[in-house]
Parts: sequence; C-alpha cells; structure tokens
Amino acid sequence: MIKINNLSKTYSTGSFTVPALRGISLEIARGEFVAITGASGSGKSTLMNLLGLLDRPSAGSYILDGIDVSGLNDDEYARLRNRKIGFVFQAFNLLPRLTALKNVELPMLYAGVGLTERRTRAMEELTRLGLKERIHHFPSELSGGQNQRVAIARALANDPAIVLADEPTGALDSQTGVEIMSIFQELNRNGTTIVLVTHELDIACHSQRIIRLEDGLLISDEKVTAPLDAGKEMRSPAEQGDVQ
Amino acid sequence: MNIGELVLVAIESIKSNRLRSFLTTLGIVIGIAAVIAVVGIGQGGRAMLMQEMEKFGTNLFGIWVNYQEGETMRPGDLQMTDITIIKEKVPQVKYLAPATYEKMQLRGEKGQKSVQIIGTNADYAQIRNLKTRWGRFIRSDDAAAGRRVIVLDEKTAQNLFGSGNPVGKRVMLMNNSAVVVGVIKNDSSTLGFSSQQIAYLPWSFLTRLTDRDIIHEFQGSAVSKEEVEPAMNLSKKILERRHNSPDHYFAYSMEQEMEAANKVTGIMTLIIGCIAGISLLVGGIGVMNIMLVSVTERTREIGIRMALGARRRDILVQFIIESIVLCLLGGLIGIILGYGGAMLIARLAKWPPLVSWWTIVVAFIFSMAVGLFFGIYPANQASKLDPIEALRRD
Repeated sequence: MIKINNLSKTYSTGSFTVPALRGISLEIARGEFVAITGASGSGKSTLMNLLGLLDRPSAGSYILDGIDVSGLNDDEYARLRNRKIGFVFQAFNLLPRLTALKNVELPMLYAGVGLTERRTRAMEELTRLGLKERIHHFPSELSGGQNQRVAIARALANDPAIVLADEPTGALDSQTGVEIMSIFQELNRNGTTIVLVTHELDIACHSQRIIRLEDGLLISDEKVTAPLDAGKEMRSPAEQGDVQ
Repeated sequence: MNIGELVLVAIESIKSNRLRSFLTTLGIVIGIAAVIAVVGIGQGGRAMLMQEMEKFGTNLFGIWVNYQEGETMRPGDLQMTDITIIKEKVPQVKYLAPATYEKMQLRGEKGQKSVQIIGTNADYAQIRNLKTRWGRFIRSDDAAAGRRVIVLDEKTAQNLFGSGNPVGKRVMLMNNSAVVVGVIKNDSSTLGFSSQQIAYLPWSFLTRLTDRDIIHEFQGSAVSKEEVEPAMNLSKKILERRHNSPDHYFAYSMEQEMEAANKVTGIMTLIIGCIAGISLLVGGIGVMNIMLVSVTERTREIGIRMALGARRRDILVQFIIESIVLCLLGGLIGIILGYGGAMLIARLAKWPPLVSWWTIVVAFIFSMAVGLFFGIYPANQASKLDPIEALRRD
C-alpha cells in the first residue's frame, strides 16, 4: 500500500538548512494499523505531511497504492489526496459554517460525485458512526468526540486507500479518546489501512505496529504483540456503574 | 466540481457573513444605483425634450432667405407661386405654408393687446399641429374670397373678449376690422416656447393691411420622417432655379434640431454616467479589499479544502465566483434602487420614466465584470497558499 525508500526532507530558512527527515525507508501493507510515534521535532509530522501528499520530499521515493508520486504535479497530488487519503486531524478541521452532512460531502464534492449520491453516502457514513441525529448540526453544536466522528466520516467519504490520523485524540479527554480509538480499531477490522501519528504511547498501543522516530531517523519498528482493545476499555467503566 | 456547486458554496459563504457581505457590496449598490438613475433620468429627460419638440409638428422643415450681411429684404424672393410649384413638383412635401411676421395692436370688446401676427394659409395648422378650441383655422377659400378673418390663440381671445366663445366678433387692427373665425388651443408646453401670444391672418389679408408683399419664410412638412431631407432639399433647389440665385436660400429641419438636442443630452448623460462609474470603481476596490481580508481569515478553510482534494484551480474559481456573486447581488440591489430613484425623479419632474432594458443588462454585466476583475487578485492569493501552512493557521 505504502512503500517509501530513503525519504528525506530538509527545510531551508535563509542560509540554514534544517533536516527534518534523514532517509526513512518503510513499507505499510494493506489492512495494517500502524502508529508513528516520537517526541516533538522527531520528524513524525513531516513524515505525515509527506505520506499525506501535502508536501514533497527533498529526496527518496514514495509509492502509494502502486503509484510513484515523485513526478506528479500539484493537480495530480490534489487528486490523489482526494481519492486515496482520508485525513483525521487533532483539531478536527471541520468547516465551521457547514453542517456535519455538508462537511462529510466535501471530499465527494471535489471528486465530482453528484449531489444525490453524495448526500446518500454522507448520510450512510454519519449513520455508521452513530451521528444519524446530528447530521444537520454545525460543528459548534457538537461535542469534541462527535466532531471527531464527523471528521472520520469525512475521511472515509471517498473510500480512501489509507486513513491518516494526526493526533486524533489530542484534543479530547481520555475517555472520548478511547472511544475514537475503538472506532479506528473497528474500521481496521473491516479492512481500512490506518496510519496514526501520536506522541502518546498508550494511544499508540491500540495499533498493531509502532514505528518510532527520533531526529528524523527511524529508530524502531515493532509489532505490538497484544494491542489494547478500546472496546473493552470503554465497557469496563460501564461495568463499574459509571453510566453516562 | 461544477459551476453550479461553486455558486452554491459562494452563496453559503456570503450568507454566513451577512453584515460584512452587505457592507462590502454597498459600494457596488451605490455605484450601480447611481448609473441606472442617471442614465434613466437622462433618457427620460431626452424623451421629454423630444415630446416637446414634436408638439411643434412632426417632419417639419423650413426655408428662409439667406441674406448676406448688408443685404436688405427683397420682396419676391419667396412668392406664393413658389408654394404652388413646389407642392406640384415635389411629392415628398405634404404641406407648405408662407409665414410673414408682424407685430400688431389688436382691440376687442373688452380690451386690447399687442401680439405677434402670422400671415399664412390653411396648411399652417397642419404643419404646426394647431388645434382649434372654437371655430376653425384659416381656410384656402378665405384668400380666394378676400375674406378679412382672424384666428386668435386662447390667451389673446381672453385679453380681447374675456372668457367665452368670441367667434363672429370683430377685432380692430390697423384702422381695419377682421372677424374672428376661430380660437387656437394653447398647448401646455413645459419648455416655454409657446409663451408668445399669436394671432393668424390669411397671408393675402396681411399684405393688404401692411401694403408689403413679403414672405419671411416657408414652413412645410414632409410626408414621412425619411422624406424630410429630400423634401427640404428639392424645395430649395426649385427656389434656386426659379429665382436663378444659388446659395440664396437656407433650409432647416426639426430633425436636425432634434439631433443636436439629442447630442447635447447624450453628452450630459455620458459625463454624469462616467462620474457614477467612478463610484463603481471605488466599490470594486472595496470588494477586493474585503476579499483579501476574507482570504486571510479563511486561510485554514482553504488549507482544509486543499487537504480534502481541492485543486488550486478549485480554490481560485471558488473565490472568484464568490466575488462575482457578491457584486451581482450588489448590482441587483443597485438596479432596484436606481430604477426606483429614476421613477421617483421622473414623477416629480413629470418626465416619462425611462430605464431601458439594455441599461439593466449593461449594469448586470458590468457588476459581474467588476466582481471578476477585483476578485482575481484575492482568489489568486488564496490558491497559492501552501496547504501545510494554511492548516496550521488559526
């Protein structure tokens, strides 16, 4: 699904050049749930931007779903972002002036999907994520968890090859964070490839594989032998009588 | 993403910022309203001028003798036989009448008044579109029968006889008397051309009274608007040939006068329209200014849209369409206001209100062009944003 080889990125500010990624090679297969972790400044955000086609590498190659993206122009980048990648951001990044439904419709709008199909599919995604009653609400009328679920519905709208989640629980309380992780795990069980970027180890432990970055280098790539099951974590407080 | 959807996106964004959108577009509203009102009022004024001029008679032309400096008036330069011959030989001439002007003191039962006398024939009423209040105008048999008759205008009739029908009564003039056979309606011209009091005598009667065989000018009308020029020129040619004096006659037509008036009002409208157009330009700059602010404010939105797959072109078109829609809305409100203003002023000034459909179409297209022109720069700025930078912005 993803194959990067010796990918590097340097930022130049005036006469200084700052290396953010210093040659990273890695492969992510279809259906994997991978967490990329590291301290701030480790290069994980840069890697995320490169994987998400928001930025171009200084060197190295990137093959996404069988397509070598190195020679592509801006429009083709935009098209691939639209079709192959679903973003979930820490700050949700929903358009505040659009309803949940319209937010979910956006990627399909840019994909040229017709109005009726767009509406039906957006409705389906939102229903799947338990927001059937909230489709006409604006982001400001929804809780953080609900907003992130709208954002996930939006990420899934064009049936992308991978979902890139950048600190998706960073703006949420821990319980809601676990709830979101359970959604990712559920999606992953149904076959969606997920790349999660986080600096929190307990969040990363919900994935099947953890890749650690430090100073722009890959320092470890380990399988998680027993991933945390977010579904169970959610149920346990309920068993203790903490019913919301 | 098709244009229809982009228009919807633009309308949604304009709606979500109602007050600011309204203030932004206010410049366009005022500009378009001013242009529509000015052009409408100009056209209305011109139409009123034309109406007034047509009261003098349509397809009108006149011929007079083109005396050189120092030359004195010669009897015989214009003769009654000329009229007969011209009417015979030039089919484009419908009516032709002599006109001799004198100032005379008229006396009636109730008073006296010095008025303008015009010695003429029956055709004159047709040419100048005169309507009788009582009685009749001069007839062709009056001259043949040597009748001593006079036709007064309403005001003069009142001066001489008080109110009421004076037909059949006698008017004293130059130690002579004439019978009133008709009274002409005073038309209610607002231009003030007809403030003069006039009485009409058969031309032959006038020459007998003054003992001077002179015709000051010919007035005529052509069979149609298109025939005014040929009628006028052929008549002039016949006169030149008959009197063997080229360049001795001068001809003019109401059409020419109207064209001149048209030109003047047209230039006025253009000048005021240009000034109004400047306010449109200022309005356009206002739109550009706010669009630039809007792009800065919505940097994050642009970043999000790019992350979701919007191409640079999509962002560019979105902002241009937003600017166009904004200006079109302003234009629409401006058209309504300007139209209302033109109507109001037309009513107050008693002009025919005239806002032609093409004024509205031009205003519409122009406001769209303003939106396009002043939207391009901000939209281009928006489309050049770096998605990562844009997403990071608050």
